[in-house]
Amino acid sequence: MLKIWSMKQQQQQAENAEGAAGKKKKKVTAAQLRVQRDLQELTLGNTMKMSFPNPDDILNFTLTIEPDEGMYKGGVFNFSFSVNQNFPHDPPKVKCTQKIYHPNIDLEGNVCLNILREDWKPVLNLNAVIVGMQFLFLEPNASDPLNKEAAEDLRTNREGFKRNVRNSMAGGSVRGNAFERVLR
Amino acid sequence: MAASFHGGPTSKERKYDRQLRLWAASGQQALEDSRVLLVNSDGPLGANSTGVSGVVGVEALKNLVLPGIGGFTIVDPATVTEADLGVNFFLEEESLGKSRAEETCRLLRELNPDVKGDFNSEVRQPQRVEIFDLTLIIQPIADLLQDPDFLPQHKLVIISGPTKRSSLDPLIQRAQKQGIPVLYTHSVGFFATFSLQLPAEYPIVETHPDPESAQDLRLLNPWPELVATNAALDDLDSMDDHQHGHVPYILILLHFLEQWKQSHGGNAPDNYKEKTEFREFVRSKARTSNAEGGEENFDEAVAAVLKTIAPFSLRSTVREIFELEQCHNLNSESVDFWLIAHAIHFFYTTHGVLPLPGSLPDMKAQSADYVSLQNIYKTKARRDVEEVTNTVRQLETQLERRFPPIPDRDIEAFCKNAAHIKVVHGRQIPQISSNSDSITLKAIRTQLGFPDSLVSVFIATQILDGVVDEIQDTSNDHRSINDDALWKSHTERILALLTRDDPTPLDSDARENIHKAIQELRRAEGGELHNIASLAGGLVAQESLKVITKQYGPLDNTCVFDGARSRSEMYRL
Amino acid sequence: MISTDANSQQNRWKHLHKVLTKSGPYCDEDWVPGQETISALESSKILVIGAGGLGCEILKNLALSGFKDIHVIDMDTIDISNLNRQFLFRQSDIGKPKAEVAAAFVEKRVKGVKITPYVGKIQDKDEDYYMQFKIVICGLDSIEARRWINSTLIGMVDMEDPESLKPLIDGGTEGFKGQARVILPTLSSCIECQLDMHAPRPAVPLCTIATIPRQPQHCIEWAHQIAWQEKRKDDAFDSDDMEHISWVYNAALERGKQFDIHGVTFQMTQGVVKNIIPAIASTNAMIAASTTSEVLKIATSCNPYLENYMMYAGEEGVYTYTFEAEKKPDCPVCGNLARKLKVDPNSTLGDFIESLSERAEAQLKKPSLRTEEKTLYQRFPPQLEEHTRPNLGLKLHELVEDGEEVAVSDPAYTIDFRYKVIFSK
Repeated sequence: MLKIWSMKQQQQQAENAEGAAGKKKKKVTAAQLRVQRDLQELTLGNTMKMSFPNPDDILNFTLTIEPDEGMYKGGVFNFSFSVNQNFPHDPPKVKCTQKIYHPNIDLEGNVCLNILREDWKPVLNLNAVIVGMQFLFLEPNASDPLNKEAAEDLRTNREGFKRNVRNSMAGGSVRGNAFERVLR
Repeated sequence: MAASFHGGPTSKERKYDRQLRLWAASGQQALEDSRVLLVNSDGPLGANSTGVSGVVGVEALKNLVLPGIGGFTIVDPATVTEADLGVNFFLEEESLGKSRAEETCRLLRELNPDVKGDFNSEVRQPQRVEIFDLTLIIQPIADLLQDPDFLPQHKLVIISGPTKRSSLDPLIQRAQKQGIPVLYTHSVGFFATFSLQLPAEYPIVETHPDPESAQDLRLLNPWPELVATNAALDDLDSMDDHQHGHVPYILILLHFLEQWKQSHGGNAPDNYKEKTEFREFVRSKARTSNAEGGEENFDEAVAAVLKTIAPFSLRSTVREIFELEQCHNLNSESVDFWLIAHAIHFFYTTHGVLPLPGSLPDMKAQSADYVSLQNIYKTKARRDVEEVTNTVRQLETQLERRFPPIPDRDIEAFCKNAAHIKVVHGRQIPQISSNSDSITLKAIRTQLGFPDSLVSVFIATQILDGVVDEIQDTSNDHRSINDDALWKSHTERILALLTRDDPTPLDSDARENIHKAIQELRRAEGGELHNIASLAGGLVAQESLKVITKQYGPLDNTCVFDGARSRSEMYRL
Repeated sequence: MISTDANSQQNRWKHLHKVLTKSGPYCDEDWVPGQETISALESSKILVIGAGGLGCEILKNLALSGFKDIHVIDMDTIDISNLNRQFLFRQSDIGKPKAEVAAAFVEKRVKGVKITPYVGKIQDKDEDYYMQFKIVICGLDSIEARRWINSTLIGMVDMEDPESLKPLIDGGTEGFKGQARVILPTLSSCIECQLDMHAPRPAVPLCTIATIPRQPQHCIEWAHQIAWQEKRKDDAFDSDDMEHISWVYNAALERGKQFDIHGVTFQMTQGVVKNIIPAIASTNAMIAASTTSEVLKIATSCNPYLENYMMYAGEEGVYTYTFEAEKKPDCPVCGNLARKLKVDPNSTLGDFIESLSERAEAQLKKPSLRTEEKTLYQRFPPQLEEHTRPNLGLKLHELVEDGEEVAVSDPAYTIDFRYKVIFSK
C-alpha cells in the first residue's frame, strides 16, 4: 500500500462517517465565495447603489454613484464591475458606462484608480474599490489624468472646470465633445 | 514563412523569440557559431554490461539543438540495445543493433531542420551537423585526439562518465591546453553529478545583474551637467502642486542633499543614522494638502535614500580583476577582454569611478522632464565610452596586435557592465586521486562536516569511476560492476585519500553518509533513470549555454543532484 | 528486430526495474520492492495538464518511466515560437492541436505506452473524469488554471475513499528559473496557500500611459489599451494576429516619436501585449524531470517524495532550494473543506439557516449562502437581499440538489464554510 493513500485512510478514520453522497456537483469557486463575502461587508451609504442584472451571477454587477457633495453633485454615474475567476489575484475590471467629463475617466469609460491596477493586492476588497471610486467624484485628481484636457481645465481654471462639469452632466458639449446627460 | 511586413520579425526571430529575450542576438550568434563534442562512453562497464547509456549527453544535446547550436559531434562506439530503448528517447525500435551515435544523431537532427535549411544563407558559417563514420566512431577517443584538428573544432566538450582514466585524462588535459571548456557528467540511478572545467581565466562581461543592483545614479558625485540641471530647480516651494508632484525623485534628492550639506558642514549623510535622518527630512518636504494627501515622487525619493545615497565604491570582484597580471601587463597576444579591462582601469584611476552605465530607472515625472534627465545620463555614458574607446585604440596601436580592432559595440557593452564583470578562475575536473590537488580534498573534507551535505554523492561517483576504470583497463576482466571486493577496495582507497592532507579520521556520520550514498548508487548498478538523466541534461545544457554565450554565471565547478531527496548542491572542488 | 517477448521487455526496462526491485538506504522501511511495485507503476493512470514546454518533456519522461496509461489535456495549437523548446513538434505541425501531436509522437517512439489526448479546457471536464487518475501533473503557464485544478482536486477528496486523493505535481518556469512542487490535496500546502509566492507583474498606472509616458513600454501600452479602443473599437484585439500587433507597434512608434521616447521595437511590442515570458528547453527539461521524478517516486514509493517545494535558479551556477511550504489554516480552498450535512429536503432555506446557527463548528448568525449556480440568500447589498428573500420560504429541494455544495460566509468569521448537503430519505 502506498504511503500517501494509507495516510489519508488513517486521517479519515477520525472523521465522522456519513452516508455516501450522490453524484458530485460543481463547487462554489474561490472567486464567488470571496465576492459573496466582500458584498456582505460593503458599506454603501446613501450615495451608492448596486444592481445585478442576473442575481445568481454575483461576479457581474453595476455600481451607481450619486455624489451628494462636490462638483459632481446631482449626477448619477454608472460603473460596470466584472470580476473574473482569478479574483482576488486579479483586480475587478471597472468601466464607466456613460461618456462623462472627468480628469480620471476617459471618454471610453476607462477609470484611473491606483488600486484597480498598479496598487491592487488580493487583501484589498470590493469595499476599498468603491470607496476609491466615490473619492474620484469628491476629489477629481488633476495631477495624474486620463482625460488630459479635463485635467488641464481643472488645474488652470477651477471655476471654469466646474461650469464645464455642470454643462457636461446636463448633456452639453465641452471642447467639441458631446456628453451624456447624467443628472438625476 | 518569410517576414510578412516591413519591420516585423523574420521567421527565425519568431522561432527563437522566447530565448532571444534572454541572451539577445549576440548570444544567439555565439551559439550558432559553436560546435559541441559529446563523448558518450568508451566501452562496457564490465561483464554483462553494455556500458554507459549516455542519456545525459543526448538530452543535453537536445536542449542545445533546439535553440540552434551550430553543430555537434557524437563519439560513441556502442550499438543500440533493448536497454537503451528504455532510457534514451532519441532511439526507436528500428535502431536496435545499429550504431548508437548514428541513430541518436539522426533523431536529434530532426529537432531543428532549419539549422540546415532556410537559415543557411543568413548565417555566416555553413551549419554542420554530422557524425563520424563508423570506423572512426569505434576508435577510442584517445585515437581521435591524434588528429590535432579534431578537438579545436569544438567550443565545448561533454563527457559521459564513468570514463576510464586513460581516456578521460588526455582529453581533459588537451582541452585545458586549448582553452576548451569541458563538462564531465554522471547519472546513476537517482544521482547525478557534473563538473565544469573552464580555462584558468574565464572572463564574462554580460553577467546580467538584476536591474536594481545595476543602477548607478551618482547622486553623491554628480558631474557638471547633472549639477546644472539641479540648479535650475532652485525654487521648489514656488511650484504649483502639479509641478511639485512631478519633479523626478533624483532631482528631489539632489536638491535636498545640497540643503543638508549646508547645515552639516558640507558633508552628505554618511552613516545609517544620518541617512535615516535625511530620509525623514525629505519625507517632511512632501506636500500633503493635495487631493491624494501625499506625493508619489516624494514617496519614491524617500524609498530610494538608503540605496542611492552612497559614495561610489568598486566591487571587490572588479578590484581583483584590475589587480590581475593579465590586466596590468598587456602584450600583443592579450585578448580583447584584458585590453578593455586595462583601459577601464585607466579610466578608474583617472576619475575614481567606472564609466557611467547610463540607464535611468522609471520614475514619476512629466515625459519631457524625464527624457531630458535621461539624456543627461545617456550623454555622460556616451562620453565615458568615447574616452575608454580612445584608450583602447591607443593600446591597440602600441601593442601592435595582429587581431582585428575590437568592435565598438564590445567596448560599449563592457562600459555598460563594467561594475559587474566577472572572471571565473576555472579548475580542472575534480578527481579524488593520488595527484588530487589539496584544494579539492580540503573542500570535500569541509563539506563532509555538514550533516546534510550531498558531497557523499560525489565521493560515491568517484568510487564508481575507480571500479569502472579497473574493470575497463584490465584486459579480459570478467568482473561485474556488482563485484563487492572491487567496491570495497576502491572505497577504502578513496577514504584513505580523503585523509591524505588532513589525517583527522572521518567521523562516523560522514562515513555513514558515504556508505548510504554508495548503497543508493549501487542499487542502480550503473544504470541511468530517464528522469534523472533528463534533469541533468537540462542542467548541463544550461551551463553549456552560459559558457557558449559568455553570459550569466557558469557553475564553478561541481554540482550534485540527489533525486532521492530532491535537492542539489554546488561546490568549488 | 522488433520483439515483444517478456525477455525483451525485461531487458528494455532493466535500469528502471533495478530501483523498483531493490530497496535503498533512503526508502521507507516498510516498502516492499518487487513485481507488485512494478505492477503498481504500470497500472497507474496519469493525467498530464499542458502539452507545451513542460508538457512535452513530461510526456516523454513518464513514457520512459514505465507508465503505460497517460492522458494529456491542452487547448492550444502549435505556434512557430514553440519550436525552440517543444521538441515533439515540427514546422509542419504548426496550427495543429498540441495534445494530439504530442501524444501521437510519444506513442510512436515509446513502444507499449498509450497516450490519450484531449483538446480543450480543463474546465470542460468534471470530477468523474478527474477521479479516474492516480496522479495529476501540471505544466501550465496560467495561474488561473492551476488554481482551478487545485480547488477541484481538493474538493474531490472524500474522507471515506483514499483513492479520491489525487497527488498534484506542479511545475513552472520563467527564463532560467523554475519550481516543482508536490501537493497532497487537503494534507499539505496547496496552490492557493502558496499564491503570494507569485508576485503579480508590476503594472504601470493608467494615467501615466495616458498622459505622461516615459518608457517605450508605456507607448506600447497606450497603443494597445487606449488607441486601439478609440480607433478600432469594432475589432476584437487578437495578440496572435500579426496585423493587429503591427498596428499597435506602429501606433506605439508614433507615440514614441511624439514624446521623444526611443526604443519601441516589434519584439518589445509583442512582449508587452502578449505578456511573453522567456522560455528555453534546458530550464523546462530540468523542471519537467523533477516533477516526473516525483511522480515515479509517489507511484512506486521507491524513494521519498519531495516535501514539498523545490525552486531552481540557473542564472548563477546551479542553485536549488528545497523546503516545506506551509499549509495555511485560513486558506480559502483547503482551509475550509466541505463538510457533509444531512438535511431534510422538505425543510425551508430559512430553517436551514436557523440550523446553521446551532452548529458546533460555528454559530453562524448572519450567513450569506450560495451554490455554484444560485445565490441562495445574500444579506447585502439590499438589491440582492430583496431578490433572494423569497428563497427563505422555499424548500431546500427546490433550491439545491442532493449532494450539492453550499458555501456560507458570515462576517463574524474570517473563513468561509462549505457544506455538502445530503438529503435524508
